[in-house]
Amino acid sequence: MPGIARRESGDIQNLLHPEVLASLSNLELVARAAVHGFLNGLHRSPFFGFSQEFAEYKAYAEGDDPRFVDWNVYARTERTYIKRYLGETNTRLVILLDSSASMGYSSGPVSKLQYAKFLAATLAYLAAQQHDAVGLIVFDEEVREYRPASSRLGSLSGILHAIDRASPGTGTNLNVPFEKFHQFERGRGLVVVISDFYCDPEAMIKGVQPLAYQGQDVALFQLLDPQELDPELRESALMEDMETGEAMEVSPTFMRSRYRNKLQEHIDTIHSSASGVGTDHVLVNTTDPLDIALKNYLLFRQGRGR
Amino acid sequence: MTLLAPAFLFGLLAIGVPIWLHRLSSENPNRQPFSSVMFLEPGEPRRVLAKKLKYLLLFSLRVGVLSLLALGFAGLALEGSLQNIVAETARLNVIVMDRSASMSLGNRWERAQATADTIINDLDNSDVVQVVAADRIIEILAEPSLERAPIRQAINIAEPGPFRVDYGQLMSSMESLLRGAELPVVLHIITDAQQSALPTRFADLAPRTSLELVVHNISVAGEENWALDGLVWSALSGELTASLRGYSEQDVERTVTLRLNGTEVATQNVSVGAGQTAQVNFIGVDLSTGINQVVAELSPNDELTLDDERYLVVKQPIPRPILLVSSNNRDSTSLFLTSALQTLAAQVYEIQQISPVELTNQSLENYVFIVIADAGVLVENDSVVLSDYVESGGAVFMALSQRSAGLNSVPITGHSLGSFSQFRVEDGGFLSVGNVDSSHSVLRQLEGLRSARFYRHIPVETQSSDTVLMRLEDGSPLLIEHPIGEGRALIFTSSLDREWNDLPLQPVFVPFMAQLSSYMAGDDRISTVARLGGTLSSRSMGFSGGQIFRPDGETALGLAGAGAGGEVIVDQIGFYEVLASGQTESVAVNIDAQESDVTSMPDNGFIRWSELGSGPVQDAGGSMEIVDDASTDLWPLIIFLLLALVIVESWVGNWHLSVRRGIAA
Repeated sequence: MPGIARRESGDIQNLLHPEVLASLSNLELVARAAVHGFLNGLHRSPFFGFSQEFAEYKAYAEGDDPRFVDWNVYARTERTYIKRYLGETNTRLVILLDSSASMGYSSGPVSKLQYAKFLAATLAYLAAQQHDAVGLIVFDEEVREYRPASSRLGSLSGILHAIDRASPGTGTNLNVPFEKFHQFERGRGLVVVISDFYCDPEAMIKGVQPLAYQGQDVALFQLLDPQELDPELRESALMEDMETGEAMEVSPTFMRSRYRNKLQEHIDTIHSSASGVGTDHVLVNTTDPLDIALKNYLLFRQGRGR
Repeated sequence: MTLLAPAFLFGLLAIGVPIWLHRLSSENPNRQPFSSVMFLEPGEPRRVLAKKLKYLLLFSLRVGVLSLLALGFAGLALEGSLQNIVAETARLNVIVMDRSASMSLGNRWERAQATADTIINDLDNSDVVQVVAADRIIEILAEPSLERAPIRQAINIAEPGPFRVDYGQLMSSMESLLRGAELPVVLHIITDAQQSALPTRFADLAPRTSLELVVHNISVAGEENWALDGLVWSALSGELTASLRGYSEQDVERTVTLRLNGTEVATQNVSVGAGQTAQVNFIGVDLSTGINQVVAELSPNDELTLDDERYLVVKQPIPRPILLVSSNNRDSTSLFLTSALQTLAAQVYEIQQISPVELTNQSLENYVFIVIADAGVLVENDSVVLSDYVESGGAVFMALSQRSAGLNSVPITGHSLGSFSQFRVEDGGFLSVGNVDSSHSVLRQLEGLRSARFYRHIPVETQSSDTVLMRLEDGSPLLIEHPIGEGRALIFTSSLDREWNDLPLQPVFVPFMAQLSSYMAGDDRISTVARLGGTLSSRSMGFSGGQIFRPDGETALGLAGAGAGGEVIVDQIGFYEVLASGQTESVAVNIDAQESDVTSMPDNGFIRWSELGSGPVQDAGGSMEIVDDASTDLWPLIIFLLLALVIVESWVGNWHLSVRRGIAA
């Protein structure tokens, strides 16, 4: 199989670790490093060569990219044919990136928003590598950035810059990006929502549902900090909501028991609701290497392609 | 409880600082941002309560420290509320210390204090004592008390003053003081039994209430005194005369030294016979223009030094201009008026005579006052100019003479005039002066006014604001004072020459014109002497405000007090100075000459006075609540508590901080 050489390189694998990615100042560099690190690490992977598999020849028509003309066939037949690959059938990825205040939370070196930005940039880069059109909506309570899906050269750079600019804003309203999506994105494609989903699951699913029924393939990446998943509190503390400013004094005992149950219940609700409308839901710990999320994305993309 | 310096209680406002600080930190200091509180529930109340209690303890300690600091500075003291019900056999012993000037003779005051001490020692323990000082007023030196120490302290710190005592007034004042006393009263009067302090009526020495009177005479035989009891300036002769009096049984030689404005100018020796007076004349003393402070000093000093000096203020004013408006500078009015004022020894005024036509060209404000020889010579413009002058504080004296006969009203004042036919008395007849307001400065102590004959006058219809100073015997006004604005106009309803009356020919004319001029110029308002014990104010000196300085240089009345019309009690001997309107006036204050007479009352008189009491008082079975004002200063206790609180606060604060450090770790 052509393409990526097999390499057993722990260093490259390390590049997928969020703390390492955080040390790279350029988001494009982050995306490139993450994607190549990820692809290089696909040793004996079922996804090997997924994007280069030949599908069919198609007669060249005006408007087609002449780069894809198979000149060997032309030499033999004197007719111009274009090679089409399997991956080219899915041509659109729209990333919905949550930049609400809660996404700014971090108990370690990488905040949820930073992780989300790495993930969004990496997905955009990966999609661009496959010649997919990539779009972006950055939101909190309002839509902060909107880039319509495009596969043009240079559009990736614009998207990466838009991702780079995202900073923690105010509250979260998932209906806003979905409405925006409805308004401007007509064709079918992949929709990836990256958020911590501190919202009412039912209301969120009500926003996702029309997309799913429209034929969009929606994937929900729920990013949570390890302190949110497994909080450690020695002394009772006054917890201040980063979005509303509301403060509440909580005890360590509560955080150890009831809080975890309530959070898990919330995650499960999102998961089951997402499944109910044919949507993927992936829980991501912000200390996890990025390849877990990428693998989920590829699985998700593969599933849609077939 | 009482506060010695309550103003420091404002320091309690500092309590606001810990309140503010603790309000800020009353919530959990371990504040952490979190993504969302949607899955959180409030923590255990027990831990919060414990934390709050810890904060409250620290807060209370801090408030306590600040409160104690404020109370400490405010001088919190425990007010004595020791109420003693005295024994039924107790008596109220009121010790009156004569504090008049004569008590400073020799060691009279020490003897008086020793006598008071003896009285206190002889009292029963159940007796209540009160100490009172007497001179021009009665002053309570110590309230009734069973305690002897404060009584003795009050006696020891008291001193004789420069004032006079009058035994009649003393007994009258004691009546009001002792009225309502619930215990039998024993009144001890410790005095030098001065003859000159006796009232006119001996009966006035009798106590008005039932009490036992014990008079302690601390004077001893052979005490003597020589005093300067007078110092007079004669403007006519230019002499200063000092008079001396000896209260002694021996002839002595004394020296009188004269000091003028602080400089010794003359000295004379004089012999004073036993119980006699003597005079010393200083001739040719060169007084300067303005105020002269003259002091006569007797040497060698005797045992009563307060009367060895005599103070006098002599004013040598700069001659000031008077404007005389007359149609003829050789008429008799001008002649009489000028002659009268020039007769005065001191050339106080300079008369400038002008004709009525020159009046409007004059700067009238330069003149002390203006005399109009005949109001009939004034035209309308003149009246306007003169009205402005009077309204702004000037004074005009107008006579009504020949030219006024045709007028309907008096110029300037507008008084209606009667017709000529109404003022002429039958041929050969005349009117004398009727009522005279002798209390007025113009007419005070004038004799011979009624000798003057008035042949003609013009009846003037008086106005409500007028003061009629003199009337003729038919009731017609002769001299009218009419106020206009800040000034005044005086109308003489007859002439100032011999045509209509013979007043200018009478001996009283010169002093009349002198007093009239002094009043018009406002000189009569300024006094150069003040009575010891009386009051002095800038207003009484003719000023609307100003400062008053005591002889020792202290400010007796500042600008603020003067503005409020304040007065000062004259309580020092020497020269008081009044500073106002850019002028300085000086006032001489001397000791009452009666205090110089150290002669004690005869023995029989003294005994009779002592017997005026109701005799030894019996047990009246009364009771009296005595409140001893003894404040216990709580400062040491406050300091101790403050120290303890600071230590505890430091410990609690440190403990609190250590917990917070633990959280951070």
